[in-house]
Amino acid sequence: MSAKLSDPPRPTDAELEILTVLWSRGASTVRAVHEAIVRRKPTQYTTVLKVLQIMAEKGLVRRDEKQRAHIYSASRPAEWTQRQLAGDLLQRAFGGSAKSLLLGALSSRRASRQELAELRQFLEEYEKGTP
Amino acid sequence: MNALALWVHTPAAQAVGWALVHFLWEGAALAAVLAATLFLLRPSSARARYAAACLTLFAMPVAFAITLLVLLPGHNIEAVNLVRLPNAPRLSAVPLFQPAPAPRTFRDLLPWLAPCWFAGVAFFYARGLAAWFAARRLRQRGICAPPPAWQGRLAQLGARMRLSRPVRLLESCFTDAPVLVGYLRPVILMPLGCLANLPAGQIECILIHELAHIRRHDYLVNLLQGFVEGLLFYHPAVWWASRMAREERENCCDDAVVELTGDARVYAATLAALEHRRALAFEAAVAVTGGSLMKRIRRLLTQPQPAQPSAAPAFAAGLLLVAFTAALAAWPARPPARLPIPSVALEARLLESQTLEPQSSPLTGALQASPIPRQQPAAFLSFLNFFAQTQAPPAQRKGGDGTAQQALTTPYRKWLNEDVVYIITDEERATFKSLQTDEEREQFIEQFWLRRDPTPDTVENEFREEHYRRIAYANEHFASLVPGWKTDRGRIYITYGPPDEIEDHSSGGSYQRPAAEGGGTTSTFPFQQWRYRFIEGVGTNVIVEFVDPAMTGEYHMTMDPSEKDALLNVPNAGLTILEQLGITDKSQRFSNPDGTHTAAPLGGQPNSAAPARGGKLFVSAQDPRVSFVAGDAAAAGTGLSVVVVQFGSSRDSFHVFGEVTLPQRRVVHAFEGTSENSVNVSGQQVLTEFVSLPAGSYRLAVAVKDMTTGETKNSEIAFQVN
Repeated sequence: MSAKLSDPPRPTDAELEILTVLWSRGASTVRAVHEAIVRRKPTQYTTVLKVLQIMAEKGLVRRDEKQRAHIYSASRPAEWTQRQLAGDLLQRAFGGSAKSLLLGALSSRRASRQELAELRQFLEEYEKGTP
Repeated sequence: MNALALWVHTPAAQAVGWALVHFLWEGAALAAVLAATLFLLRPSSARARYAAACLTLFAMPVAFAITLLVLLPGHNIEAVNLVRLPNAPRLSAVPLFQPAPAPRTFRDLLPWLAPCWFAGVAFFYARGLAAWFAARRLRQRGICAPPPAWQGRLAQLGARMRLSRPVRLLESCFTDAPVLVGYLRPVILMPLGCLANLPAGQIECILIHELAHIRRHDYLVNLLQGFVEGLLFYHPAVWWASRMAREERENCCDDAVVELTGDARVYAATLAALEHRRALAFEAAVAVTGGSLMKRIRRLLTQPQPAQPSAAPAFAAGLLLVAFTAALAAWPARPPARLPIPSVALEARLLESQTLEPQSSPLTGALQASPIPRQQPAAFLSFLNFFAQTQAPPAQRKGGDGTAQQALTTPYRKWLNEDVVYIITDEERATFKSLQTDEEREQFIEQFWLRRDPTPDTVENEFREEHYRRIAYANEHFASLVPGWKTDRGRIYITYGPPDEIEDHSSGGSYQRPAAEGGGTTSTFPFQQWRYRFIEGVGTNVIVEFVDPAMTGEYHMTMDPSEKDALLNVPNAGLTILEQLGITDKSQRFSNPDGTHTAAPLGGQPNSAAPARGGKLFVSAQDPRVSFVAGDAAAAGTGLSVVVVQFGSSRDSFHVFGEVTLPQRRVVHAFEGTSENSVNVSGQQVLTEFVSLPAGSYRLAVAVKDMTTGETKNSEIAFQVN
């Protein structure tokens, strides 16, 4: 229960974007986060800083103040937040159906463990067969 | 209900009902043709198979439409049902809800097919619309820009595949596999951590696959496919043909990748790795065998696919059978078993839609990936090397630019090779050169400055303004035959700004040498010494000397203090103090181990480089003999050097001050001590000092003072650590 209470709230879209940067790049300074975000859309440095500070208060990110430039890192793994957002009914209704529109190198259906094992075996045999 | 009941009995509804029934056999027949075609086409390329599948799929709605048109009133005798119309009004729904007369004929039920069909179509189209919104959301939420190098690489690949539309690459936390979204403004979404963890070659394979989708307009075709599926949702043949098209589409893109990279094995490994990552992130709940991926990889690696006992002919025969049965059933107008419901395929699809979107995506390595280090010279040595390597920057850099440079039009080339040549990082340079359109370049330049703006909140970019001011200053003050920004002084000025202090000897002439250069008077070429109190990444109190030995006005940077000496090559002129006293000879200046022609310093290192020392260092004829032993014990990367100073006398105590320096006289290690109680076997006094040094060449300078007589002696030796 206490763990439940200490869970940070669901991130907003802006916060989610910053979290994505942190997950992708690992712990970063505000400047690094800003650099990554500004590459996609013009954003002020101070805006990023403010959002990060708010997120730190909410407990979505951790701040390392040991160095002169504070280093922020996501407090939860990406999976956790994805689960949080999966609770979003809208997301659930949309997320699944979106797949029919997406084109990807992989099919939308995941491979089972058995399939993966078969796959690996096949590749290994192929490697052996063609030295 | 009234209205519906009324409508149901119009000829149009009848026609729709009949068209739906007739499509049962039409669709089956088309699917049978497709199955046969695919069977015959088996060994040929995926492209033909894809074309066949698409053609069949899009022939289906056409067949349906034609049937409908033929059956519509005015074309057909089915309009006889009109006779019911007069009865319908005022009767309300009551008779309809009464238990039907026992043998309800097919004709009675037929009109109700139409509203059911409409409802189904509405459902599937609503779902399609939701999917469209979801896809749009996917490219707006939980995303971040990838490292710029990848965006650049993508642009390169796009150009190689002759794509006209710009494609964006983004990392998303909501996808578990790389996907393509959008037709007009396509975006490739990579799962988090994919770019950081997969080998570059594999990522390129993925990118090529997605770019192939774009080139083939697959996104649009896929949308149309969804349209057909929704329209004729009740017929399994439609779903089957659509699935065939999807499968073959992936095969087509697989072929494109192999064609471009030439290595099927890497690509197969990529697909397997991707699937594996995904499985790690999310354990598949349902085990399904015979997955499409296995088939694809098999196809990739064993190109002429073994004619395996396929289910296709049996399937085709089965479909034909179904088609005939349906046709027979429709014709004698017997009731169908029930309203045709999309069977297996639809159920599978519904199941699929329930698997939730936000899946855990692999993150493991992403957290380890560190931000790209900014390149800055770490020490003075690297600072010097940096300059040594790029003495003539524009010329050298142009050489290596190769073909990509051709694409750069003049203003951008000028920007890259003149404006920011000294401050752009290698990474940025590579990215800039990989950009394809002027628009992207403009954007890059804007962001380049924005990144360096100390106050991004203000409109002014102080960094850029200062940078261009420095260039202007350099061009105004340092120009000779060479434009000012290209000169050494220009380069230093632009890179590090105005020095804190300039010692200007631009008229040359008589010059009192400092003790560090041996003292005495000489005549010099024009030269300048710039002093920086602090340069970030280089150090404090950095002195840079520029000399103009050719008197052309083009000063070049030098590390050799003797280069400014105009009398260097004149015998017996411009002697140092030691040379004047006859203690050293001017010719010794030319045997320095570090390549300079500096005279031995008078009294050791310059004060700026060494702490203050007690006692005046004069040399007497009978002083303690000083010898050095520089042994070394190499240990991975750094050698431990033992510096032993031995003295010839055993009488008295000595005070020793020593410095280990780089050949450029930068102090690496300084030590001080007395030799009071350490005597070696031959009775000589010994001072031992342990220094840990990386491999390289060093100089050791030692000053020894006899504490009783006050005699001093200094000496210098070069040694090597291996």
